[in-house]
Amino acid sequence: MAISRRAFGIGLLAASAAGTGGYVYLRQHPEIAGRFGEPKRLSGFAGGEKEGFLANTRVRSLLERRFGLILDARRAGSVEMVRERTLLDQKPQFLWPSSSVLVELARNSGVKISRDQVIFNSPIVLYSWDRIADGLVKGGFAEPAGGPRYTVDLLKVLKAIIAGETWEAMGVGGLFGRARVVSTDPNKSNSGFMFAGLVASLLSGDVIALDSLGRIDGEVATVFRRMGYKPPSSGKLFDDYVAGGAGAQPLIVGYENQLIEWVLQDAERWKRVEASAPSKPVILYPRPTAFSAHPLISTDRAADELIDALVSESLLELAWEEHGFRGPLGTIGKARNTLLQSRLIERVDQVLPMPDAPVMMALLDRLATA
Amino acid sequence: MSITALRLAAGLVLALALGACSGPGPQFTILSGSENDILEPMVQEFCQSRRATCTVKYQGSLDIALALKAGNDPQADAVWPAASIWIDMFDTARRVKSVKSIAQMPVILGVKRSKAQALGWIGAKVTTKEILAAVEGGRLKFLMTSATQSNSGASAYLAMLAAGIGKPDLIEAGDLDKSEVLATVRGLLRGVERSSGSSGWLADLYREGERTGARYEAMWNYETVVKEANDKLIADKKEPLYAIYPEDGVSMGDSPLGFVDRGRGKEVEGFFTDLQAFLLKGETQARIAATARRVELGRAAPLKADATTNLDPSRALTVVRPPEPAVIQKALSLYQEALRRPSLTALCIDVSGSMKGHGEAQLLEAMRFLLTPARTREVLVQWSKEDRIIVLPFSDRVLWMETAGGDESAQADLLGKTLQLRAEGGTDFYTCGARALTAMKPLLDAGQHLPAIVIMTDGKSQGAMTTFEAAWRADGRRVPVFGVTFGDDADRSQVDNLAKLTGGRVFDGTKSLTQAFRAVRGYN
Repeated sequence: MAISRRAFGIGLLAASAAGTGGYVYLRQHPEIAGRFGEPKRLSGFAGGEKEGFLANTRVRSLLERRFGLILDARRAGSVEMVRERTLLDQKPQFLWPSSSVLVELARNSGVKISRDQVIFNSPIVLYSWDRIADGLVKGGFAEPAGGPRYTVDLLKVLKAIIAGETWEAMGVGGLFGRARVVSTDPNKSNSGFMFAGLVASLLSGDVIALDSLGRIDGEVATVFRRMGYKPPSSGKLFDDYVAGGAGAQPLIVGYENQLIEWVLQDAERWKRVEASAPSKPVILYPRPTAFSAHPLISTDRAADELIDALVSESLLELAWEEHGFRGPLGTIGKARNTLLQSRLIERVDQVLPMPDAPVMMALLDRLATA
Repeated sequence: MSITALRLAAGLVLALALGACSGPGPQFTILSGSENDILEPMVQEFCQSRRATCTVKYQGSLDIALALKAGNDPQADAVWPAASIWIDMFDTARRVKSVKSIAQMPVILGVKRSKAQALGWIGAKVTTKEILAAVEGGRLKFLMTSATQSNSGASAYLAMLAAGIGKPDLIEAGDLDKSEVLATVRGLLRGVERSSGSSGWLADLYREGERTGARYEAMWNYETVVKEANDKLIADKKEPLYAIYPEDGVSMGDSPLGFVDRGRGKEVEGFFTDLQAFLLKGETQARIAATARRVELGRAAPLKADATTNLDPSRALTVVRPPEPAVIQKALSLYQEALRRPSLTALCIDVSGSMKGHGEAQLLEAMRFLLTPARTREVLVQWSKEDRIIVLPFSDRVLWMETAGGDESAQADLLGKTLQLRAEGGTDFYTCGARALTAMKPLLDAGQHLPAIVIMTDGKSQGAMTTFEAAWRADGRRVPVFGVTFGDDADRSQVDNLAKLTGGRVFDGTKSLTQAFRAVRGYN
């Protein structure tokens, strides 16, 4: 069939318009952009607790195929990624720390933020071992919450640590020396950072403010000094906990999602642990605790659409089902995992807000030189 | 399209697909602690399955850490030191990612069974403090790797330091300023009979001592290395080591394997991820557990306890908490500068004619490194005031001999004199070694120093080995000889024989003489 020159010209114009329109449409709908053209590569830093989520092949595949995004996310402590020049000078396109306060700190460090949004939430918990938790119950520091899960009176534990009590005196037999709780380095990683805020608020009796910091900073420093070496990332600390066992890591600070993720990674291993391990991991929910939000900070417009991709329902469900991150409002997802149901608490009450950024900065400075 | 054409096309597609699947894997280099050499066959097995060429370079944990310092090129795609604290402390630019612990390895004291019996330690609960008392009472000597080069040495040292301080559960800032603490630890380190930069080599030295009659009493090492040494000792019909797990806490190495991002692309990173997954899968973990390593909860069953040697990888342990990085740094500097047993080092340096040109320049640069405190301090191999350094430049004869202390001005004088050396003449390091022994004798007899002769040479010696051997035997066989070879025509065989005879080691200085020198320093 012959085509007239006029028809050909109109056709060409229409195709061009459709192409431009299509491009504009796809830009506005990143969930289908991945089906067309070259995927976009983005590099940045993410807290260690999200490493499993980011390495998940289903997550990577969804990001690439549906959203056209390939991530090169390196593990870095949440606090250092928003402050350390050696990391910021690498020009990350996104930062994914684990607390909303850190968005403010990033801004203070001169990071130009294109967009930021909380993607999911996870409460700060203590991880221990059944025999140690039972000792803490006996000593009056913790209470069973039905099933192998516990709540713990964090202020009481902190006071015992500050007083230099031994494990033995706290009701825990078989552990040598003085009691301690170990978190990540608050100057580098968010779980330690949030724990520092929580400890300061608890010891002062209210959400800590700048004018009351001087009253309790010495005690906060004692709690942190008693920890000795503090790893720079929560992923590493949790790995140390499960690898080292009760003698090496009796009580650590972590995110609730970490045990969930560990169990789901290898359900058969978990069944073996439940059946025969000499000590079994348990979660102690501090009362009160703090919620760790995970805000994605896009520092480059190219990374803005990563936020839309991550808050899509499919990725949020994956985040809960396979990695134990609660939704942006702290709620758990639709699916219930039978392996873990008896260990998690559905609703976390008694949540303390994080102190303001200037208070946290002042506290970090004091802890760094303590 | 005809059927033949279709078949051809299908065949082509299949061939392309197969070609893509079976293409050779990447060239991949791992920097690893020497304790992992027993696991290398598993690594190579994986590499072969992927048709990749894997090179494992063995270094002390602290050397691996130093290679990760900002601005340094580790020249490796993965690091596998004995403990992750070294990565965390030195990799400030966070180039290492996907770090996962492959196994857990407590550092324990292996004591010759008859010695353990004599000390009343069979079946007993022993604390680090009791070990300290045995050393101070002159009832125990041990081998230990250098605390400033190897994780096992650093761990043992920190545990002893904590026990000396009286706070075995944690050393805190301020504890290291107490003079009585330092005196105790200095006394304890007097128990170090031999040192090394490598835990694997230390175990070999122990076994070699059984064979040659040097007979060492004990060594601080990883539980797994003690097990490995015992397997070989038992096979040689020698007495095994009895495992002492200090009740008040042991240090734990977590054997982390991490990827070093050097921008080599997705294929290399993917290869690493698969290698790590291979090492962590149940089947491989069971093989790793069979080497007496402790693996993560629920991954594989630990090796069964052995009553004769007291080795028990399922035993629950109290683990010494590592101190803050700043405290560790201070403790390591203290070790190097004040606490370790002082060294007595004779440096026989080859300035024969064949050294002219490149060799001479390399040698003088290495001496500049060794005798410049600002440079040695950077990599924690600085001399202390109590150390004694003897320099003996030689060709076919010893040109001169100069003895100095380790203080800065003495080092500067020694360096000034050394830098005037020019290469000429023949080569005879046997005579130089014998002269060194004579010079060392008065200090050796006092028994305070850890001695070593270091022979740096680029070639073959004239003369006969008996010149040195007779003097060495007559002197009580106390001094090990270390060789550093360099230059294009280096012949290791002669220095190898000297090292073998004396329980020393030969280092290849052809790539970096300075690196080789740093390595030698870990041995005394």
